[in-house]
Amino acid sequence: MLLQTYFRNWVRQLAVVTALGTLAATAGAQPLLRVLAWPGYADPDVVKVFEKRTGAKVEVTYIDSDEALWAKLHTNQAADFDLFAVNTAELQRYLQKGLVAEIDPSAIPNLGRQLPRFAQANKIPGIVQGGKRYAVPYTYAEMGLIYDRGQISSPPTSINVLWDPRYLGKVLLYNGGAHNFSLAALSLGYTTPFAIQPTQWAPLIDRLIALRRNALTFYTQLDDSIAQFQSRKVALMFANYGSQQFQQLQAAGANVGYIVPQEGALAWLDCWVITRSAHDSALAHAWINYMLEDHPGQVLVSRQGLSNTTSASPFLGPEDKLLWLQPPADVDRRNLLWDRIYSGDRANKVLAP
Amino acid sequence: MKFGITARITLALALAGALVASLTGYYALSASRALLVQSAQDELLLSTQVLARRVVVARQEVSRNLQVLASHPITLAAVQRADTGTDMQLATLFNVLMEANTGYLQIRLISAADHGLERVRVDRDGATTRTIRGNDLQEKGHFNYVFETLKLKAGETYLSPIAINHEAGSHAGLDLPTVTLATPVVDAQMGVLGLVVINLDLNATFDLLSADLPRNYTLYLANGQGDLLIHPDPSRTFGFDKGRRYFVQDEFPGLHDLVGGAVRDKLLLANTGAHAAEPLLAAFIARGIAVRSNESGIVLGLTRPLQAVLLQSDRLGRNIVRLVLLVSLGCILLAVLVARALTRPINSVITAVHRFSNDNQASPLPVDRSDEIGVLARSFARMQGQIRQQLEVLKDNQDELEHLAQHDTLTGLPNRRRFMDRLDMTLERAKRTSDGFALLFIDIDRFKAINDSLGHAAGDAVLLAVAQRLAQSTRKVDTAARLGGDEFVLMLDHFADHDMIASFTEKLLQTLKAPIAFEGHTVHVEFSVGIARFPEDGDTAETLLHNADSAMYRTKTGGRNGYRFTSDADTQPSLL
Repeated sequence: MLLQTYFRNWVRQLAVVTALGTLAATAGAQPLLRVLAWPGYADPDVVKVFEKRTGAKVEVTYIDSDEALWAKLHTNQAADFDLFAVNTAELQRYLQKGLVAEIDPSAIPNLGRQLPRFAQANKIPGIVQGGKRYAVPYTYAEMGLIYDRGQISSPPTSINVLWDPRYLGKVLLYNGGAHNFSLAALSLGYTTPFAIQPTQWAPLIDRLIALRRNALTFYTQLDDSIAQFQSRKVALMFANYGSQQFQQLQAAGANVGYIVPQEGALAWLDCWVITRSAHDSALAHAWINYMLEDHPGQVLVSRQGLSNTTSASPFLGPEDKLLWLQPPADVDRRNLLWDRIYSGDRANKVLAP
Repeated sequence: MKFGITARITLALALAGALVASLTGYYALSASRALLVQSAQDELLLSTQVLARRVVVARQEVSRNLQVLASHPITLAAVQRADTGTDMQLATLFNVLMEANTGYLQIRLISAADHGLERVRVDRDGATTRTIRGNDLQEKGHFNYVFETLKLKAGETYLSPIAINHEAGSHAGLDLPTVTLATPVVDAQMGVLGLVVINLDLNATFDLLSADLPRNYTLYLANGQGDLLIHPDPSRTFGFDKGRRYFVQDEFPGLHDLVGGAVRDKLLLANTGAHAAEPLLAAFIARGIAVRSNESGIVLGLTRPLQAVLLQSDRLGRNIVRLVLLVSLGCILLAVLVARALTRPINSVITAVHRFSNDNQASPLPVDRSDEIGVLARSFARMQGQIRQQLEVLKDNQDELEHLAQHDTLTGLPNRRRFMDRLDMTLERAKRTSDGFALLFIDIDRFKAINDSLGHAAGDAVLLAVAQRLAQSTRKVDTAARLGGDEFVLMLDHFADHDMIASFTEKLLQTLKAPIAFEGHTVHVEFSVGIARFPEDGDTAETLLHNADSAMYRTKTGGRNGYRFTSDADTQPSLL
């Protein structure tokens, strides 16, 4: 999964840590909020402010992968937690299992502080179901294009630049089937990159083989991409790790630019979600409301290099189009076909059963 | 409980001996352990270096094979134009090499044109090899080993990063740890036309290279960053391929220098983290890669359990413990012997002192020793001699005093006191045995006249002569005593018959009356005798003596020169 891959690169602490211990269990009447989150989403200083303000005890449990998150919530039917953070694509399976409670927007006044692209919940796929809202966007990262200003003088505008023969053997791509099919779909102007129509497979495969032929090579690791970009004189790179990758290249001294193509950039979006077994719904809403304040938002930017939903990202224009990731229904097929394409098969072989 | 000097000396000597033996044993053991560990590590390092050398040799052999293939005319022909005959010839050649080298997973000829399309490819597939044809050939232009090799000159080798092969359709090689080596196919006129690639099965290759290592040696391989590639737990290898990296320097914290490039060799004892329970001895070396590569280097290591090394020292340790126990036992024995040797003469002196002080008896003393105990013994022996001498003198004096107290100084006969003692004893005896005895009270007649006429010296001579005659006339069991003045008494034991006494007395008087010569004079003396018998004449000493005395007195008054029994009315024999 993309999010999982993303976090691997900056999450050093692998163990699941239960913060604040069992103190809360003995606290008696003191209200308790049990939060399941990714490292960096609820740092102790951030938590302390909330505790002081509400008099509640916050117990934060950290997870480091989508699988760990699912295991923690799913095994006990979400009974162990009041609140958790999950991306919009992953959220779907929690909704299907009915592990999530409806959000009451009126209990979160800070929703009004969110940027326009987050303001309308029903425009974000996956967080509204049956007219009910289930999630509040908290942080996100988009996957734009990084280009070498020395080799490409004017910033590219379209995703099709990846196929530009001028950059033959100078394009660095990400080795992942799900995203690459979405990329190819965007380049072909398909409107539903997360749901490929039966007739679209053949043109998409041709498009991806063409992409492969134009590519220098494919990376998986963030540091690997930085090293290859510099040592192999790469002109153009699909930034699977987004602005973080861009910042690292800049820090390494590369003369690079970062754009979101006009077709839009794939982006993951992490949201706060309240479980169906939350003890104190008001307290959970208060937590989300607090998370949308300036301080927690700034902590995300300064400590994690992530964007928050209340202040504009320095790497994005207001008009830049973000395509919130949705779980592709055909992810297995995408991966199978992508394996063949990556291995060098030609079209007729890729499409073979 | 108090310990004697023997026990104390024994204990001290035994403890000292055991302590020295234990300390020596302990130091010997720890020194031997350190030596064993050191030599085991040296051995490990040497094995690792040998292994690294073998890796280089193996790589050189692959390079040579690549050169042979790349410079073969068939290869040049095959890469220039698609011709089934040529391709088949080359495939045969590839097959021969694959058969000969079980670590080879794939041999390929890849064209520089057509996006790196494979021209000839032979894959290992299970136990056999498979020649890949037509549509199954793939475009590999976007792989490192293709575009990096195409930049090389003829004869150079490219070595790929060691990775899991995810190229679909690779048959046996799919998803196996693989290292790919390649060399360009160069035409003198046309330049680089393609490349020959050999994929090596990493594990099979290293299994072969390390086949002759001892069984408890474990091989580790990591890349230049320390990512584990070969590890006893395969789930920790190629972590970068699974999204979670495992570094050799995390498992062996001592290796940060080595992976960082600061040192080339590292010996260490791994006893933390995963190896806390079963510590390992480890030797790791970092080596660069001589040929063109995107791999920055490799880290090669061998480990063996510390336990296995220490087993040898444990054996040694057991022997040392045994030796220490034996020596300690010897020390105890020696201590007992030494203590006894030391205290036996002291004890004999003590015994001698005891016996001497108890009953004045002498015991043997160790006077012949030349040491302090000898001096002590000699001093004591001397002192013993002096004491004994003085005691003897004292006893002689005492005996003399005793004699004086009980005897008459003039005649040497028992005096009245001694006589009374004997009388009491005889009375006791006689009462017990009903065997009687007799007392003769003897008085010299007119003794005063002798004194007056001839002087006291004559009197004394008479007394002396009478005493001698009395002593001579009596048996051993009888007692003759001088009671004082001219009075003598004779006690005849076991002699109670009246007639026998009478005849004895007459005979005695005969003897006593013999003339006594004194300074030219002849002195004639006569005696008056009184006789009392037990039990007839009394049953106490006083009565008997009194009766004898009065019988004698009556003899005197009755005419002297005769004897009279207590019961007699007349002096007998009156004729005397």
